[in-house]
Amino acid sequence: MQRVKNVDYDEDELYDDDDEYGEEAETYSQEDRGNFAALTPVVRAELEEVGLQASDKEIQDALWNYYWDVAKAVTYLKNNRTPKPQQQTLKKQERPKSKFDEAAERSAKGLGESGLSFRILSCLAWCGRCWSVQDEEVGHVVKIIVESPSDGSEGTPCMLPPRDWFRDVPWTLPPETQGHLVPAAPVYRPRLLGGSSKLAKPTEERGKKLATAGVEESSADGASSSLDHPTKPKEPKENEAPLTVGEPRNSQRSEKREPKPPPSSGLEEEKPDLRAQPTAFARTLSARPTPDTLPAAMSFLNLLASERSEDPFKGPSPDGTVTKAQNRSKGMTKRPLANKTQALKLDPTSTQATQPKVRSKGLDVPRLWAEERARRKPSAAFVVIGHVDHGKSTLMGRLLLDVGAVSQRDIDKYQKQASEMGKASFALAWVMDTSAEERERGVTFDFAQHHFSTPKADFTILDAPGHRDFVPNMIGGASMADMAVLVVDANQLDSGMKGQTREHILLAKAVGLKKVVVAINKLDAATPPWSQQLFESVQTDIKPLLATSGFADEDIKFIPCSGLAGTNVVNPPKPSSPAAWIPKSHFTLLQALERSIPTPAKLTTTAAAAHELLKQPLRMQIIDVFRGSITNPLSIAGRIASGTVQIGDLVMIQPSGEKAAVKALDVSDEPRDYAVVGQICTLHLSDIEAQHLRSGDVVCASQHPVRVAKSCTVLIEVLEALLPQPVDVHFGRLHVPGRISQLVETVDGKGEQLKRRPKVLKAGQRARVRVGFEEGVPLVVGERVVLRSAGVTAAYGRME
Amino acid sequence: MRLIKQNIERKTGEGSAVLLPEEPEDLWHAYNLIRPNDLLRASAIRKVISESGSGSRSNERVHTTLTIRVTKLDFDPQAAQLHVSGRVAEENKHVKLGSFHTLDLELQRNFTLEKAEGWDSVALDTLKEAVNQDAKVQLWAVIMKEGLANICLVTDHQTILRQKIESNLPRKRAGSTEHEKQMQKFFQTTFDSLLRQLDLANPKPLLLASPAYTATHFQSFIKAQAASGTNKGLRELLPKITVAQSASGHLHSLNEVLSSPAVTAKLSDTKFARETQLVDHFFTLIRKADNRAWYGPRESEKAVEQGAVGKGGGVLLISNGLFRSQEIEVRKRWVKLVDEVKEQGGEVRVLSSMHESGRRLESLGGVAVICTWPIEDLDDGEVEEEDEVHENGEVDEAWHENGDGHGIEGRVEHVEDIDFA
Repeated sequence: MQRVKNVDYDEDELYDDDDEYGEEAETYSQEDRGNFAALTPVVRAELEEVGLQASDKEIQDALWNYYWDVAKAVTYLKNNRTPKPQQQTLKKQERPKSKFDEAAERSAKGLGESGLSFRILSCLAWCGRCWSVQDEEVGHVVKIIVESPSDGSEGTPCMLPPRDWFRDVPWTLPPETQGHLVPAAPVYRPRLLGGSSKLAKPTEERGKKLATAGVEESSADGASSSLDHPTKPKEPKENEAPLTVGEPRNSQRSEKREPKPPPSSGLEEEKPDLRAQPTAFARTLSARPTPDTLPAAMSFLNLLASERSEDPFKGPSPDGTVTKAQNRSKGMTKRPLANKTQALKLDPTSTQATQPKVRSKGLDVPRLWAEERARRKPSAAFVVIGHVDHGKSTLMGRLLLDVGAVSQRDIDKYQKQASEMGKASFALAWVMDTSAEERERGVTFDFAQHHFSTPKADFTILDAPGHRDFVPNMIGGASMADMAVLVVDANQLDSGMKGQTREHILLAKAVGLKKVVVAINKLDAATPPWSQQLFESVQTDIKPLLATSGFADEDIKFIPCSGLAGTNVVNPPKPSSPAAWIPKSHFTLLQALERSIPTPAKLTTTAAAAHELLKQPLRMQIIDVFRGSITNPLSIAGRIASGTVQIGDLVMIQPSGEKAAVKALDVSDEPRDYAVVGQICTLHLSDIEAQHLRSGDVVCASQHPVRVAKSCTVLIEVLEALLPQPVDVHFGRLHVPGRISQLVETVDGKGEQLKRRPKVLKAGQRARVRVGFEEGVPLVVGERVVLRSAGVTAAYGRME
Repeated sequence: MRLIKQNIERKTGEGSAVLLPEEPEDLWHAYNLIRPNDLLRASAIRKVISESGSGSRSNERVHTTLTIRVTKLDFDPQAAQLHVSGRVAEENKHVKLGSFHTLDLELQRNFTLEKAEGWDSVALDTLKEAVNQDAKVQLWAVIMKEGLANICLVTDHQTILRQKIESNLPRKRAGSTEHEKQMQKFFQTTFDSLLRQLDLANPKPLLLASPAYTATHFQSFIKAQAASGTNKGLRELLPKITVAQSASGHLHSLNEVLSSPAVTAKLSDTKFARETQLVDHFFTLIRKADNRAWYGPRESEKAVEQGAVGKGGGVLLISNGLFRSQEIEVRKRWVKLVDEVKEQGGEVRVLSSMHESGRRLESLGGVAVICTWPIEDLDDGEVEEEDEVHENGEVDEAWHENGDGHGIEGRVEHVEDIDFA
């Protein structure tokens, strides 16, 4: 648009310029020359910085076209010098012809057959510069156009006599001097030089699709197909002559309307050694037609017509080709993965789409893990269980405060807020109970997760809800834990024994926990405070319960403590206090925890065995689906049940069967490269929709997907009488309706059949039953199952 | 359903009945009444292709009344449509004898039913129940938990799951209100879908049930909507809302809810509440290992044979799914059982397989008895091994047929049964 200022140049001058065209392509005013002198060295210096050479002419050209904008000129020259000029040209021509595209093109070319206003606009733009490149020889053709009715130029209020409109238009037979002028045409959309556009992606995808279809495309094809692109949007009613002429003319015009790179024009003739390769488009256009193809206009048209009949986009786009080649060279690590995906998926076109964008580091996780083993602190996740209101959350809040994982300031803040609500004693529990509802009601709803470290170990707290209505959530939490902390209110033993103390113990056993620390809480509130007798009586009551549930004696530790007062949680009581008897025979809660860390039972004894476990295919149940952050809009959390996962892995989500790429992963809220069995981690996923993810789904290695089934056989320990009946089935976090469809048999301790097809299963029996589901459920053999009915745990067992 | 005309011979059971279905539930009754081989006469639209002398063909849609001998029934409770296929048994000028036709029974259109085997006692009972014009109780129930809501319509004879809303709620985490936001969104979705189902001009009782506080929260959500919105009907709905506790948010928890004191106080005299209580009673007995309760086809038959299901507390619970058997012999077997119990003076309860209680019964084989005295070892049937297996297969089938989809009954979906062992 800058050129519009030249509109008031008088015609004489214009003509003068035209005349000079033969000798020198462009003439510059004195002022311009000055500018050239000043700016050319600057540009050259810039270019040399990046190791590029450019002739004065080119630099001047660039400057002229960018209207003295040094930065733009340099960028253009740089781009021009990049090693793939041809591809870039092709790229432009391979764009999909969306409506938007076509419209943009048409306006850029100034084809607007009917728009008068447009004509004026282009006229203004045109007048400014048309004098610069003109050719007398085309005059005769111009006349034809001028007379053609569809060309509205006669009526336009333009300073130029109508015939000058087409002064520089190379007609069907470009003169030799002008042969290379025409190639300016491909730059009709200079903004696309960088190759970036919203449309680039669809093109690329289409390219890929076509590439997989196996259509080969030669560069010559691309070049010729490019021909019809700029001339395409024409109305059929238009006359033939303007049709052919339209393209070069318009390209010139658009040139004036916005800053754009100079045409890689005729100027370059003078320094052929420096000249860039003419584009394919240029080569085609400037090719001299053989005399017998005359009349040239007709033949050109024929050429266009013939080209048009072909599908210009049937080959892969150059972008696609390049991407493919790049993938092939650099993507060696994930290539096998991609191949496998291809084998699994029926639709080959979608394979590429699901290919992870994140590159895998290709770590040998088991080896790394083994190497790091020595340096690692032991770690464990423990679930805090017990009856409602026995002080689980408060005890954990205290623990976190005393180990320094939560600051006193936060607690003070909670204290203040809690007092305002009249629940001052709940302040510590608020560390775990973060939701407004929980705080208001003073009851934990869902299990909370918190990490802390001591010099000896890393811990993850899973604070389970005690209320009976939230037992499903408790099962979810317990299934992620390595051991349990049972909190018992010394003063409220009975309520718990009837209620969730008992049920939670059973459930802890049901999900396979072996070690339990029993924290006998609220001893400070006993009468008398810290009565050792009370502690011991509670101990004798709880012990048989644990024993009958199957906890071994050596796996149970009893700790007297007070969560609210903080006695014997992290710090042992003072010798002067009534609780002074404690340190003599008991650990603090924290010490007990540190001593109870299971020698990772699952990463057992020998390194080889551990290695084996790591090598199993990945299994992880999704505990939570959430929006991690702005950069990670879709994250899932869970505990890895087997195998390993690392960044860049392709995982499958069952039962949806959708695949996703692991973009990043966190363990204990810190970013890591990989995570292994037993760890509780957060995976940030890409290439998947949130609707395919639900808590309870299973993440698995895409090569070894978990089976999805509608029925299964379960070996159960019966706690409540069972008939074939509807039950709630819990697999960790997964909670689905199902029904016992058949009582297969009762068995004894060794698994020998006692009775076939019993009519009813009674409490205490061990039996094999068939369970059916309404929807497909991802099932892992050996997985622990809890069956509940009417709000009571009716049985637990293992999948067979 | 209205009985327009009947000429059923009491003794032989021969004769026909003209019935007028008036509401969707009547089609369910019709579904239970019409059996294969029966003669059904109803209006139909049939495309008739006629060929003229010159050989040109013309298509015509003709309204006509057809009589078919039933071969197959297809009932869709959600859309309340009953399609009856069969072969034309009475020729008319449009349709040839023996050609096939599927009648779509429509509301407010008479149909005539003639039983092939005569009207047996069960069929007559069903008919009686169908034409009973007593005020019918219906209620809406939303069984929910966080992230899951089942909206269903409970009528006298059916529980129809109208909509299931599932949404993914992120777990609570410190410093994030995402959980609350999603919860509100979930309530909004549930509320919107509920409104689409309810007829606010004539509000029926609404039962909200969930574990913990979800239902209470949802109730306050509806209250807030009623207070802020301009929807007057909504305000009238408020006093009709009952909140109850359920053990889970899954549909089968509806059972506990319907038998819970809070609900029975309001709905005690409804058929489904009675049925639910009966099944509960049966389950309690069997859990107690009281030998008075038995279930399964063979055991029930034995018990009845021994005369244990008679006066003084003998109850036969039987699912009406058994009477819908395609095989006449099977149906006869159950009708015989029912008649026997009635003779002995026992109580017979035909439970709707479309209710949760009926479903529970179906998982027990569709039939159960409560005896007047304990019987030992009714299940010593090891001798007839094969037969038993066959029966169990039958039970499995019934479970598949009815277990999925909650109410696409009659449309047997082939469930892939992957054996996991």
